[in-house]
Amino acid sequence: MQKRLVVVSFLFIPVALLLLFLLYPSLRLLQFSLTDWNGMSKSFNYVGFDNYVEAFRNPDVWKALSNNFLYFGIHAAFIPLEVMLAVFLNNKMRASRFFRSIVFMPYILNGVAVAYLFSFLYNPINGPINALLEAVGLESWIRNWLSDKSIVNYSLVVVSLWRFSGLHVVLFLAGLQSIPNDLYEAATIDGAGPLKKFVHITLPGISRVMEIVLFLNVRGALQVFDIPFLMTQGGPGLASTTFTVYTIQTAFKYNNYGLASSLAVILMLMIIVFSYLQGRLFKGKGESS
Amino acid sequence: MNVRTRSLPLLYLLFAAITAVVLFPIAINVMTAFKTPGDLMSSSPLSLPKQWSFGNLKTAFEKGNMLVGFRNTGILVFVSVFLNTILGAMTAYVLNRFNFRLKKLVMGMFIVAMVVPFYTTEVARFQIIKGLGLYDSLGAPLLIYAGTDLLQIFIFLQFIEKISAQLDESAMIDGASYVGIFTRIIFPLLLPASATLGIIKAVDIMNDMYIPYLYMPSKSLHTLSTSLMTFVGQRASSFEQLSAAILIVLIPTLLLYLFLQRYVFSGITAGAVKE
Repeated sequence: MQKRLVVVSFLFIPVALLLLFLLYPSLRLLQFSLTDWNGMSKSFNYVGFDNYVEAFRNPDVWKALSNNFLYFGIHAAFIPLEVMLAVFLNNKMRASRFFRSIVFMPYILNGVAVAYLFSFLYNPINGPINALLEAVGLESWIRNWLSDKSIVNYSLVVVSLWRFSGLHVVLFLAGLQSIPNDLYEAATIDGAGPLKKFVHITLPGISRVMEIVLFLNVRGALQVFDIPFLMTQGGPGLASTTFTVYTIQTAFKYNNYGLASSLAVILMLMIIVFSYLQGRLFKGKGESS
Repeated sequence: MNVRTRSLPLLYLLFAAITAVVLFPIAINVMTAFKTPGDLMSSSPLSLPKQWSFGNLKTAFEKGNMLVGFRNTGILVFVSVFLNTILGAMTAYVLNRFNFRLKKLVMGMFIVAMVVPFYTTEVARFQIIKGLGLYDSLGAPLLIYAGTDLLQIFIFLQFIEKISAQLDESAMIDGASYVGIFTRIIFPLLLPASATLGIIKAVDIMNDMYIPYLYMPSKSLHTLSTSLMTFVGQRASSFEQLSAAILIVLIPTLLLYLFLQRYVFSGITAGAVKE
């Protein structure tokens, strides 16, 4: 009897918070997504799947989503480089700890401060980045980094890379450090070269970390929010909007809670589907090798 | 695996370049924060200040409502981390040491919560916060931050598994209750894990923007992040003052990183690598 009391009383607050602030809101999203609610009025009408149909037909939603994929793709393309850096850092090079600290530092900094800091760096008039290009004789590269529609997304992705790549490197490094050294020694005795060792020991050794990084990348890229929200508000026009920025603006700026809720539900489904697919793809690869 | 000595200089060059990329924005920020407006106008943005002036920092601190920001961020960090640590440890203790019917359901709920999107959920959570009368109070972020999550539970579970159940049993024989076992045996032994998890949580809270922005619009409730947002909204073109405000907001986590780096790294990697 005392056992039961302990279980209930210990779990009551954590589970209540979980239900109240995460699970119940998710169910409410499902409900709102089937209505035409504007966020303020006392009543609303159920409109079936109209919001979902509108979400799929809305070209702005697709535009936003394609921007998310840009973040996803470029971050994914950097993963091999991040693994390489981690391998180098793991090789007990001098100052390896110092470099690790430097590489990871951006991740720990306040995201709002970093976003505004880069807004200043990108400033077209007397901005530090353009000044730097001028100083090294690359005047022809000077751009309006945040107001040119064809460039703005890349400018923002750079900020995202600056902030988050170091996290990946540190995670990979931790994975590498967990590989027992005798595996490499045994392989050396068996006459394996560096490439063989990398493919057969290093890569399998960091597969768990790789899965985590890939999951973080899917979740992060599908939900990019603060960088565009703070630096461009999704502009110019909708050029740099993302799925989450668009959803938040649909709800809190245009008071279309029904559509915003359906977008949120779609986002949740995308996170689940992409994480699952990526996991399958990755696991499949791991087994065949 | 040894990198051949021949390629070493190249390697240092690579890391020197990365260091430059990381430090360039911060160096520019520091230099700009100490420039006078005239200095910033007349010289290259890449140049050092002609004379180091603290005027911008003073203006940014006072006009930027930074004292209030430090206070609120401080309260949120200390109270939320405290609650979050205790709740996380309690959850892990019960999940590890007891068998009960709804255990799988409880675990399942924490797993589902992992895929709930960060920001878009606010569309529905906003109504709940309002309904509870928590809107525009410190209570809203406090309760949101206090909640435990799957990763935290996993890490605590890893540590609890290593605490021998015989300790519990002998305490039991000495007449300790379950609550006594938790508070006097389990929780103290979890303190190292709590420290690393607490640091990471503290950084998350210090750097969070949208929850305080959405739920605490009052000026007296601004955090460091939202104070900076307001300040930037007011003086979008005065870059020397902006840089000073940015620098002020960067300092807390930079200091924390400088002095508690070991915990930061172990906190970040704790969930990724099995002990």
